[in-house]
Amino acid sequence: MTTATTPPTAAPATRRRLPGSASMVPVVAPLVLLLLVAALGPLLAPYSPIDVVAAPDQPPSTQHWFGTDIYGLDVFSRVIAATRNDLVVGLVAALLATVIGVGVGLFTGTNESRGGVPGSVARGVTRGLDLFDALPQIVVGLVLLAFFGRNLLTLSVVCGLLMVPTQARVVRTEVLRVRREAYLESARLSGESERGLLLRHMLPNSTWPALENASYIFGVAVTVAAGLGFLGVGLPPPTPEWGAMIADGATAASAGRWWSSLFPCLALAVTVIAFSNLAHQYLRRR
Amino acid sequence: MIARLWRSQRWWIQRVALLPVHLFLFAIAVFFLVRLIPGDPVLIIAGSDDLTADQYERIEVLLGLSGSLWHQLMVFLGRVVTLDLGRSLIDGQDVQEQIAWRLPATIEIALIAMVIAIAVTLLLCIFAMLHPHNPVARFAAFYARSAGAIPDFVLGVAGILVFYTVLGWAAAPTGRYDAGLRPAPRTTGFPFLDALLSSDTVLLSSMLAHLWLPVLVLVVGSAPTIMKVLQRSIEHAVDDEATLFRIASGVPRHVVIVSVLRRASPTMVTMCGQLFGFLLGGAVIIEQLFAIPGMGQYAVQAVGRADFLALQAFLLTVAACVLVVFLIVDLVNMTLDPRRRPGVMVEGNA
Repeated sequence: MTTATTPPTAAPATRRRLPGSASMVPVVAPLVLLLLVAALGPLLAPYSPIDVVAAPDQPPSTQHWFGTDIYGLDVFSRVIAATRNDLVVGLVAALLATVIGVGVGLFTGTNESRGGVPGSVARGVTRGLDLFDALPQIVVGLVLLAFFGRNLLTLSVVCGLLMVPTQARVVRTEVLRVRREAYLESARLSGESERGLLLRHMLPNSTWPALENASYIFGVAVTVAAGLGFLGVGLPPPTPEWGAMIADGATAASAGRWWSSLFPCLALAVTVIAFSNLAHQYLRRR
Repeated sequence: MIARLWRSQRWWIQRVALLPVHLFLFAIAVFFLVRLIPGDPVLIIAGSDDLTADQYERIEVLLGLSGSLWHQLMVFLGRVVTLDLGRSLIDGQDVQEQIAWRLPATIEIALIAMVIAIAVTLLLCIFAMLHPHNPVARFAAFYARSAGAIPDFVLGVAGILVFYTVLGWAAAPTGRYDAGLRPAPRTTGFPFLDALLSSDTVLLSSMLAHLWLPVLVLVVGSAPTIMKVLQRSIEHAVDDEATLFRIASGVPRHVVIVSVLRRASPTMVTMCGQLFGFLLGGAVIIEQLFAIPGMGQYAVQAVGRADFLALQAFLLTVAACVLVVFLIVDLVNMTLDPRRRPGVMVEGNA
């Protein structure tokens, strides 16, 4: 009986596809590179990322591969050092958004059609998350950071909270679909408790899309964090962060000194594209 | 008679009546959010610890932080309803006056970008629908897939570098018009519209020279998001039985196209609502890059000064704008597709 009611999870099918696929290299290589740079950061940087090491506004040369910025900081070292900060924000945000989103999505999905207090609470939560999601992320992020302090932890948590509605919606849709499946009905008929239904059948069957989505969330969170940094309301200077570096370089760029803005832009673009590729090609089940 | 009118008109009256409820709930949420700020806001605003009891009390009252929580909430909601958002303790300026001055400028940029983005999207998608194998259609599909990959500010910096520094086509990113020009007399509050109305050609051409690049950046950055949705819903509508029936029964081509577009449009309208929120956020960033005075600049200043009153008002204002846009989106959708009205039971769509 137990074997009959155990839902066929999608995970094995996907796992089978991972190794040996030729399309794997272009998707995974940038990710590995980014994670390596984030992990080894300080070892790779030739100069201190937060100290003035040369004359300002020097073009790329053999000493300073990416040139120096308006303050005389080494752009290459800063781009490298910023990788860790930005990736940490993305990882924490994706984790947080997924964990909270799965919880909220399971709750709203299973309770929405019920009457009484749980039903109205669930409908209220769904509505509230929709309204929250409608607000520009950068605006909410800016206000929350200003209220709760500008450091790596708040930045990551705020970016994570901003993405909760997306994840909750994905899980909720999936729960509503799973509810109608036959295996759920047979589990219920075989005397599985409500909690068992939720944890053993709903949870494993409805969270997969949210896990896929997590790498998309990662990209968006990094973009939002960089946007806040760009506005000058993210991590306080001189903490290396791509968004803040792009903003610092923007004035120089309009005077023709393109390098101090271009390289953090490239780093940001590579990160976002690498992670959204992962979401698109790799974890796709259908 | 009245009952029948009520029954036929209920859908939009109900939806409009929900707006103040949403605003009210949001205001309460913001109220509690501000109460969660770690530390003593009075001391943060004052910037020092040595305040006399009298000074402390005065700031507390100005921030609406005196009395019981219930009393504070009532004071706060009273202020929101009467649009009295307070006077900034930092520069002594009326918060609502500042916002009334800056909000139209930001909304104007977001709206111009939105209209252009929608027009471009519609044109490209319709073209792609009619000529699916054309290179332009393939480009459109590729472009739509890239949604969100490149953030606005990266496009902005690249735009300034290419169009201002290298090519010299755009004016310097230093505001809305050349320094030294006088702003148009304030009639509508929307700077560009005012310039149009004043028929001051020098000012107008300077504004155009300054604004086309930020607007272009916003359009290029935001168009893929709606393009992706519209392409999918057009594909859906083209494969629909209703389309096949129309083609089979030999109606003229343009009738088929119009019917496809009508069935694809509700998704598009919904997406436009989200696009507005997206563009409002984008405009905040772009304003900063192009030194255009607007809401973004105000908020960034407020963050630097820990001006909680201004930030609270900023959040409330943006939320109000977004909620109004969502109201419009819902009403347009209910008009386009009566099945979306509340209380309408549809087969297979219960």
